Amino acid sequence: MEPIPIASLNQYAYCPHRCWRMFCAGEFVENHYTIEGTDLHQRVHTVGENQRDETWQIRAIWLKSEQYGLIGKSDLVEEVDGNLYPIEYKRGHKGEWDNDAMQVVAQALCLEEMTGKSITKGYVYYAQTHQRQEVEITDELRDEAITTISEILQMMETGKMPPAIYGNRCKGCSLFTQCVPMAKEKVSKYKEGA
Amino acid sequence: MGTVYVSQDDSFIGKTDERLTVKAEKKQILDVPLIKIDGLVILGRATISPAAVMELLERKIPMSFMTGSGRFLGRLEPELTKNIFVRRSQWDAAGETPKAIHMVQAFVRGKLKNYRASLMRHLRDYPDNDLQKAIDDIERAIDSLATIKAIASLRGVEGHGSAVYWQAFPKLIRADGFSFTTRNRRPPIDPVNAMLSFGYSLLRHDVQGALNIVGFDPYLGYLHTERYGRPSLALDLMEEFRPLIVDAIVLSAINRKAIAPKDFTAEPLSKAITLSNDARKVFLTLYEQKKQSKFKHPVMGRQCTYQESFELQARLLAKYLMDETDKYPPLVLK
Repeated sequence: MEPIPIASLNQYAYCPHRCWRMFCAGEFVENHYTIEGTDLHQRVHTVGENQRDETWQIRAIWLKSEQYGLIGKSDLVEEVDGNLYPIEYKRGHKGEWDNDAMQVVAQALCLEEMTGKSITKGYVYYAQTHQRQEVEITDELRDEAITTISEILQMMETGKMPPAIYGNRCKGCSLFTQCVPMAKEKVSKYKEGA
Repeated sequence: MGTVYVSQDDSFIGKTDERLTVKAEKKQILDVPLIKIDGLVILGRATISPAAVMELLERKIPMSFMTGSGRFLGRLEPELTKNIFVRRSQWDAAGETPKAIHMVQAFVRGKLKNYRASLMRHLRDYPDNDLQKAIDDIERAIDSLATIKAIASLRGVEGHGSAVYWQAFPKLIRADGFSFTTRNRRPPIDPVNAMLSFGYSLLRHDVQGALNIVGFDPYLGYLHTERYGRPSLALDLMEEFRPLIVDAIVLSAINRKAIAPKDFTAEPLSKAITLSNDARKVFLTLYEQKKQSKFKHPVMGRQCTYQESFELQARLLAKYLMDETDKYPPLVLK
């Protein structure tokens, strides 16, 4: 099976239908949030390594897991005292939706397979607040990530579209005009005039 | 957002930074930011720079090429969306399937209901006009649609309803000097038909653009059969919009005397009719104004422009084909 992009976990956790549109149907529309995000990643995604005090940093390397079928790029991996931590960069601040953690866990799964070391935590760096949010990689989060991965793999294999469900998260979604999530309800209630 | 129409012969269309520029007779006649453009229609003879073509395609802006009189010649289309699922569902429904029948019923119903509403509105304004029989005939055609399941028969109902409408159409013309006896085209041989054909060409540019954005293959239709080079699905989706947009503009241009019989010239022998340059500009302005005018979308219950409604109807069509909704609601306005 084709490996799935690590970034798809984040999208799937946010909205399975959006994930389908992006990764199965190949739709992607920029809005001001995504443009800021791309700009941030262009700066982050320049391969390089350096030593800062006790910390070894490496940017923009490929991550891969054969076991789980994952592929993607890391923003930053740090090593302190022989322990590795993945760090995912995000525009803005910690959102209402707990989808960024999924992406960190997926990166950790790749790093564990690539290095043979076990990884206990990672971080999400929020550019707007310049803050690192620690993500503790619990068994619970791992299970959640592994379940999500198998759901995405299945979606990619079958192409089956998860339904569009209208909700709060539709605000600010760059695929809103394509998705028209209210249509299902509106069409079913509609009585055509004479 | 809007469409740029270049109707002056020997214009040069180029790109300067983030703007589209049009020059003619050594003068700049247009300079508009590309971000404000969602379509380009070139009428007659013009040159477009390779840089402008690339930039327009890059920005997913379609270009249509028409003759000076508005006959559709061809189109330069940005890359189709990668949404293979929309196209697959479109192909799966091809032929005499329950979905195809449902859609053909909807396209025909939408068109006939809008025809009927247009005649009724006219009858309200001019009660002396003898339109009731045509209205009743069209109503019977609409009522029969739901029970007919064969696409060929639905085409027959569409043909009958349209014939009734076009027979009544001359009664809607209230300015002197325009005559209309029957719908004719290729080439149109009277001014009313010339304007109708021109308007349908412009509408086709817009509807085909909307279908492309959504990911459809515009050449596979349901009401219109497959024929080489014919954008059947665009013609299908156009049906409900014809009376709402084009017929309405033609009637208002004539009845409000924005365009007069003297604005047309006829070719010798062939009698093919051409609009004067000035009248063509008036018509293009009316068309663009109509597209930007707002109405309350009956399904979505919110304000939208006709321009937006092309894409919205195309999205509703995709939703029906992909089983997200259980029906396709054509745009029917009172």
